[in-house]
Amino acid sequence: MTYLKLIFRNVGRNPLRSLLTAMVTMVLVFVVTVVWSILFTLSLLTTEKSQNFRAMVTERWSIPSRMPYAYATSLSRGGARHPSDARPTDWMSWQFYGGTIDPGKLTRESIMFCIACEPDKLATMLEGMDNLPASDAAQLHRDIVKLKAKRQGIIVGHNHLINTNKRVGERLKLTGIASFKGIDLEFEIVGVFPVGRYDSLAAFNRDYFANELDAYTTRHSGRKHPLAERNLSIMWLKVPDTATFNRVAAQIESSPDFANPAVKCETAASGISSFLEALRDLIWGVRYLLAPACLATILLVIANAISINVRERRMELAVMKVLGFRPYQILVLVLGESLMLGVSAGFISSGLTYGVINWGMGGLHFPLGFLDTFMIPKAALWWGPTVGGAAALLGSFFPAWSARSVKVADVFAKVA
Amino acid sequence: MIPTLLLIAVVILLTLVAIGKIPLSYNLRNLSIRWKTTLMTSLAFTAVIGLLTVMMAFVGGMQQLTEKTGQPGNVVVMADGATDEVISNISGSDVAEMESLPEVVRRNGRPMASRETYLVVNQPPAAKSDGRQRQRFLQLRGIEDPQLAATVHGLALLSGSWFSEAGVQSASAAGGSAAAAPLVQAVLGEGIAHELGRSRSRQELATAKNRERLDLGDTFRVGNRQWVVVGVLKSVGLTFNSEIWAKRSLVAALFGKDTYTSLVLRSKDAEGAQKLKSFLAHDYKKAAVEAQVETEYYATLSQTTAQFSYAIAFLATVMSVGGIFGVMNTMFAAISQRVKDIGVLRLLGYARWHILVSFLLESMVIALVGGLVGCGLGCLTDGWTASSMVASQSGGKSVVVQLAVSTNIISTGILLTLLMGLLGGLLPALSAMRMKPLEALR
Repeated sequence: MTYLKLIFRNVGRNPLRSLLTAMVTMVLVFVVTVVWSILFTLSLLTTEKSQNFRAMVTERWSIPSRMPYAYATSLSRGGARHPSDARPTDWMSWQFYGGTIDPGKLTRESIMFCIACEPDKLATMLEGMDNLPASDAAQLHRDIVKLKAKRQGIIVGHNHLINTNKRVGERLKLTGIASFKGIDLEFEIVGVFPVGRYDSLAAFNRDYFANELDAYTTRHSGRKHPLAERNLSIMWLKVPDTATFNRVAAQIESSPDFANPAVKCETAASGISSFLEALRDLIWGVRYLLAPACLATILLVIANAISINVRERRMELAVMKVLGFRPYQILVLVLGESLMLGVSAGFISSGLTYGVINWGMGGLHFPLGFLDTFMIPKAALWWGPTVGGAAALLGSFFPAWSARSVKVADVFAKVA
Repeated sequence: MIPTLLLIAVVILLTLVAIGKIPLSYNLRNLSIRWKTTLMTSLAFTAVIGLLTVMMAFVGGMQQLTEKTGQPGNVVVMADGATDEVISNISGSDVAEMESLPEVVRRNGRPMASRETYLVVNQPPAAKSDGRQRQRFLQLRGIEDPQLAATVHGLALLSGSWFSEAGVQSASAAGGSAAAAPLVQAVLGEGIAHELGRSRSRQELATAKNRERLDLGDTFRVGNRQWVVVGVLKSVGLTFNSEIWAKRSLVAALFGKDTYTSLVLRSKDAEGAQKLKSFLAHDYKKAAVEAQVETEYYATLSQTTAQFSYAIAFLATVMSVGGIFGVMNTMFAAISQRVKDIGVLRLLGYARWHILVSFLLESMVIALVGGLVGCGLGCLTDGWTASSMVASQSGGKSVVVQLAVSTNIISTGILLTLLMGLLGGLLPALSAMRMKPLEALR
């Protein structure tokens, strides 16, 4: 307790220096927290799970993947052809659709990429939807019921609401772009995805999409839309474990039913890893250059501040020794001061980062491939104090060691 | 702009040195006496500025890619509504019609036009140490006449030759079995040649002619076929650096894309290209197409670059704030140790502003030393390559970026370091300036 009081008093003795050191720590812990949050999310998405995970089936060679929708029924059974074959526990089909609210001005804000899917599967097959807070889950359930009831309904992410300046209940017209030219869709917004990962997603009923593809043929004197035959982008399968996944993947990849075009079956984590492969060096740089450079800077600043402190207090430390303080006690005292500064600044910084970014900004908006918004994970609340504390301990070790080694005779000789 | 600002900053710094009455050697001696503190503060600047230099060099490389790629006299034609080559489909008859337009330059009676099928395909590279099989996305450009295409795009070969009319060669010529399927001949951009070369197995590397990249005669697998390198493009700093070129008919058959994705037409000059673009976009009635001047098309791929630039600007600001607080701490400590010095200086007749200038200079010197070392370290990364993406609103390409440290980047680094030194030293210098001589000596 005495130590704690002493530490508090010493930290408060030079408030300006303590404040400046804390500020540097806070600023750099903020950078580290943001960087690690992005890396944490990427790592979470690309870490293979061993149980109850999702696999994705896509066209084997070409991108974007376009398989015949006729594949869907057989794929939903995991390509099983015999009673003994392995089967997925759940499935969901994705047909991509791209349209714009303003055909005259194609901007990031005006373009919407949507998926046509089975409404029920939004709750069971979208990653993270199975562990939503109760209120969000109930709302999503209500929106899905509306989507099922309204053929032209659409559930959109928050970004779309902002970009289109629309509200739930309003109508939305999308003009097909690129491969989807000629398919213009009119929707009624029936709900919004919970804030976070799906802020840039929009999902609608696949029956509506199928109808519009048929209508195109009628409108164009029997000429089918180029996407009419091949419009299944991804088939998601849920498998209970790795063994089942391996069997399902083998069934699908060896099946003659999926030969033209050939398909591949991989875990969702593996698919996402492949997508991020193009950004491999960038992610490496962020992980091994940016974050360490911030940590090194915190370390240097804290080391500097503590060594200045120790230098200024050599006399006081000598007096403490005269009063009976042991060298290790002085070491602990100096380390404690620095630790207190580092931990408190780190905690305040990560707490503020968590609160401001998650609650105030609705996540960190940094489009990286198909990812748009990054949330600061709860784990960040302990990253801050840990980073601040560890940097403080490391940075103050040598100054503290020098404080421990203060020679009473030398100090008093200089004073004399 | 940036070099001008730097020049202004250097002029200010030199003016401070010139008008400062307290000799700079006084500050330098103090810095050398407190060398540990000086070193640590400078090192913090080295880390911040070094990192920013590397990040800016990366963005600089990306910027160069989108700015340098493309010929101002070329027009890229894609299907109507297609914002990217990968989602474009143009029929053979439409392509032939457009090639015959009078605005298209002819050489030896042939239109200077390149018919192309651009594809992104999966390639499973060797499994990593964790045993997970990943996919890599490769960019293939199916070309009909490689020499013509190279002329239209303004490209040349670094080594080797263009692929043959057939586009294939016997496997036995590359050391394989005569019974094996013929190898698809490919011309690689230097970047993708490095990328593919990097992911070879140890056994392959042990016997490789060139350990750095795939070289002439080396083979690799894409789709169900084995491919052989017959040429390497001189393409550093261009988006073509990440592409594999092969015979269009083979690419189309292998990956089931029987239409063209783009047609690149050469007009007589930039003005001609603008006219051709406008004609195709508004007055051409035989097919609905999207036409863009090639340089403008590649410029639209700078969205990722802009996004990275914003991120760097944000990081630079945040880290600069850290640097300012760091140097402020050091300078306050320096002043608190030299209160008596300040008193003596004042009694010797030095004015308040002399004290201010002296401490400001000291703070800027600490920052400048660290910043210069940081810039120097950052310069070492000039020419390094890294994989990335360039993208527009609805399309993009994987690219190999060559980091480019320019004068602008170095100037920005030094300017930032001087600014941090100035702002970080200002408050402590003001507090030193306001000290009363007698109180300081007491």
